[in-house]
Amino acid sequence: MNMDRKWIALVALVALLLVSACKKPDPVVTPPPPPMTETAPTTDVKPDTTPAGPVDATPKPVEKSLQELQQEAERSGLLGDVFYDFDKSDLRADARERLEKNARFMSENPEIVFTVEGHCDERGTNEYNLALGQSRSATSVDYLISLGVERSRFKTISYGEERPFCTESNEACWQKNRRARFVVTGRR
Amino acid sequence: MKNSLLPAVAATMLLLVGAWPAMAQNSATPPELGAGVDSTLTIDGGVRAQIRVAFPAAEIDSSLSGEYLEAAREVEQTLRDDLEQTIVFNTQGPTELAVLSLTGDRTQDFEQFRSLGNEVVLLASIKPEGDKLVLDGWVYDLPSKQSILGKRFRGTLAQTRLIAHYLADAMHYQFTGRPGLMLTTIAFQSSRDGHQELYLMDYDGRNQRRISGHKSTSGYSDWSPAGDAIAYMSYFDGSPGIYYVELATGKKLPIYNEGVLNLSPSFSPDGRSIAFAHSNQSNVDVYRCDRNCTQPVRLTKSGAIDTNPSWSPNGKQLAFTSSRSGRPNVYVMSLDGADVRRISFEGNYNDGASWKPDGTHIAYASRDSGNKFRIAVTSLVDLTTKILTNGPDSYEEPSYSPDGLRLLFTLRRGKESQVYVMNAADGSDWRQLTHQGNSSAADWSSFKQK
Repeated sequence: MNMDRKWIALVALVALLLVSACKKPDPVVTPPPPPMTETAPTTDVKPDTTPAGPVDATPKPVEKSLQELQQEAERSGLLGDVFYDFDKSDLRADARERLEKNARFMSENPEIVFTVEGHCDERGTNEYNLALGQSRSATSVDYLISLGVERSRFKTISYGEERPFCTESNEACWQKNRRARFVVTGRR
Repeated sequence: MKNSLLPAVAATMLLLVGAWPAMAQNSATPPELGAGVDSTLTIDGGVRAQIRVAFPAAEIDSSLSGEYLEAAREVEQTLRDDLEQTIVFNTQGPTELAVLSLTGDRTQDFEQFRSLGNEVVLLASIKPEGDKLVLDGWVYDLPSKQSILGKRFRGTLAQTRLIAHYLADAMHYQFTGRPGLMLTTIAFQSSRDGHQELYLMDYDGRNQRRISGHKSTSGYSDWSPAGDAIAYMSYFDGSPGIYYVELATGKKLPIYNEGVLNLSPSFSPDGRSIAFAHSNQSNVDVYRCDRNCTQPVRLTKSGAIDTNPSWSPNGKQLAFTSSRSGRPNVYVMSLDGADVRRISFEGNYNDGASWKPDGTHIAYASRDSGNKFRIAVTSLVDLTTKILTNGPDSYEEPSYSPDGLRLLFTLRRGKESQVYVMNAADGSDWRQLTHQGNSSAADWSSFKQK
């Protein structure tokens, strides 16, 4: 009985995850959907203490774990953003190097999926920069695919110059804003 | 927000009844206009001879008080502002006419108006009628003392500016054979309410109102040629998609939101098709489709960024921005993507094409070596380019008025941006239209359907 309930809960949770996975993410708020590992069958042996009913499987710690995963990977240099020249979307040597490391991390963590955001500095027109940001995320993703990473693991989105990382008007700041940002958005 | 005001006021408005039977029917041939009037009909060619109008104080009914009196004064002021903002008229108001000793006798007073160089006089009166105001306007040719035009408009207190616009527009039509800008509307985007949303304003910057509530990033709108709808881009569904808002109902419908990026919609002049920039994961290209957008056709295949299309007034070409030469530049192509021709050669970065309504010129933003944008206009006849702005700020996103005489643009100073308007011919006569939040990417409507 208890086991049945647990399965119902599990199925409900999976359904919930599928539904939320199908929805396109809101560009403003970006907490990723709770990953499925939370319901990993390793807990099967333990007695189920969660009461039946609505599955509010506390997504907070899960989100954090994705974020933490991202932060750790970034801290240790396994994952990082890719930077571009002024007005350009083609990959510099340092960008290729960065992407090669990213590709390694991706193949070592094959369950992780990403959103690749394209960003621009403030100097172009806003409208063209929306296209340029897309082109930047696309060149990064294309290179990763050429390195053997599956395309289905990426979603690209351009923010143009709308969401700067740095708001001063100097080259140091502009360089920070010309990037493809890799955001871990879930596990598949 | 709905645009329901217009039909409502049109219904309550009466063309002048009785009093001036000669007017209205034949606006094409106004009787006995003074000499010199003819030259004003070629405004576009740079000939600037204006019609000199004496416009003494309007006769405001003495029974009006409180908000009605205020409204009556606003009608008069709006009328003066309207006439002043066209380059068709050169108006002398009460201040300039104060040197005269008017007698109240028309024959004498008309001579006096004429002595100051005026060719016509506009006499306006405003009186109450129930809860409405009635604006009567009549124009006399001073040499002949013949009436040229007489119109009556009535409206509620909420329509005071509108009835003045209608009279000014009627005058404009009478003297030039085409409508003025008074009844046109400008769409733009602003962050004044926290998110970047769509807004509308009257042609003079008044009556600014929000028409979207996506609480996301929305903008880069394009008016439908009929003026009844706007196509725009919004991120509200996650990635940028193209939507359509019907102004009468406020109803919003998706046009195209497949792939990861859809941008910069531009209606064809017949309103049946839309060009836009689209990406399905990879590079950005220009596409076009019909209004339902079931089968978009890809038009550019350069491998570079191709974006920001703008449909030509004759419907046969598209201007767009491409980085195929290394830097963004403005190009023109046919509807099947062939016959690509680069038209911008100024500066190091050109984007944001707006066609002059007669199809002879394209305005765009051109970046100079100091990384500031200026408004450039290129003739499609000989590819000569004129720079219209020469200030310390950045000037972007030009959009022609439907008569081709004015240009909207965005002035950027640091992180701030506001919408301005200037003369399209020489970049003179700047007016700031927006003041709140950051506002940009304005698009001018067509003339209202009459």
